[in-house]
Amino acid sequence: MSERDATRTLILIRRSPYGSSLARAAIETGLALAAFDQPCNLLFVGDGVLQLLPGQDPGPVGLRNLGKLLQSLPLYDIEHVYVDNASAQRYGVAEDDLPLQVDMLSTADVQKLLSEHDQLLGF
Amino acid sequence: MLFALLVTSTPFSGQGAATAARFAHTLIEQGHELSSVFFLDAGVENGAANAVCPQDESDILGLWIELAEQHQVELTLCIASALRHGMLDEAEAERYERAATVHPAFSIGGLGQLVDANAKADRVITFGGQG
Amino acid sequence: MILHTISVSPASATFLDCLRLIDAGDGLLLLEDAVYALRDSTLLDAINDTDAQLYALADHTLAAGLGEVDYGEVRMIDMQQFVALTVQYPRQLAWY
Repeated sequence: MSERDATRTLILIRRSPYGSSLARAAIETGLALAAFDQPCNLLFVGDGVLQLLPGQDPGPVGLRNLGKLLQSLPLYDIEHVYVDNASAQRYGVAEDDLPLQVDMLSTADVQKLLSEHDQLLGF
Repeated sequence: MLFALLVTSTPFSGQGAATAARFAHTLIEQGHELSSVFFLDAGVENGAANAVCPQDESDILGLWIELAEQHQVELTLCIASALRHGMLDEAEAERYERAATVHPAFSIGGLGQLVDANAKADRVITFGGQG
Repeated sequence: MILHTISVSPASATFLDCLRLIDAGDGLLLLEDAVYALRDSTLLDAINDTDAQLYALADHTLAAGLGEVDYGEVRMIDMQQFVALTVQYPRQLAWY
């Protein structure tokens, strides 16, 4: 798109799956970046880790399943999916139960991750 | 420096949208460039053509229109959010056989426009709130 | 170096996540409801412990009725200075 090195973007996903429309907006922004060949990573932090809980069934509340969308992430060119370990611990989200391959990060590692990206888009 | 803004705040609650609009005007006054403002989620309500603002409150819509008309800033409402919020420009209104509700200073577009702004701008500044 | 802009209430878990992830050398700009952190001395201590530079948007502290007090390490800034901060810090992260 431009002559300089491609912008490396980190999307911070901070909303629970059905508590805010920003939950889906975050994922879709990540997918759009990947679709346009822009280097993009995702970080689940805070309530965002609740998107990773298995067994979501939003059918009765009339919403599309966000957990299913996450399962399809490996099909897109998202480079890495990271999870803030402190947030996962808070809600008892276990790595073994996750619907996709992620990297669990300590607080210090999240700080390092933030410093390694050119743009930070928080949702 | 080349800026782009991402706004997810509705103008009808909190101060996120007003802060974004004032930030936009200030950066231009300082000699920076603003390519585009992308409105996502509840932020699309900033394009509401028929919102009537109380006389003693600041006119946020007027600030956006000025950016488009006087400084050629692209104001884009995310199409997925816009349709859900009932924000239709002339083209979408025709497609869905409804009345247009978006001010003509704004256009409706896809996330690709945010991706493009993100790739080109030196700074992408996000304004959220009440989300 | 990141400019963290935060607009959530100091009572929210998001506020604490932001504080936990701030690094030395970052800046923290209080906006909207986040300015009420200035009324919480425990939280102010926690913020000072991060070694981040602390700013508050004066328009928002004035609106909240917090304008006339000296908050020590906190720099009150106007919109011009807000823009200047986004130039000074190469990245911004909005917490809202």
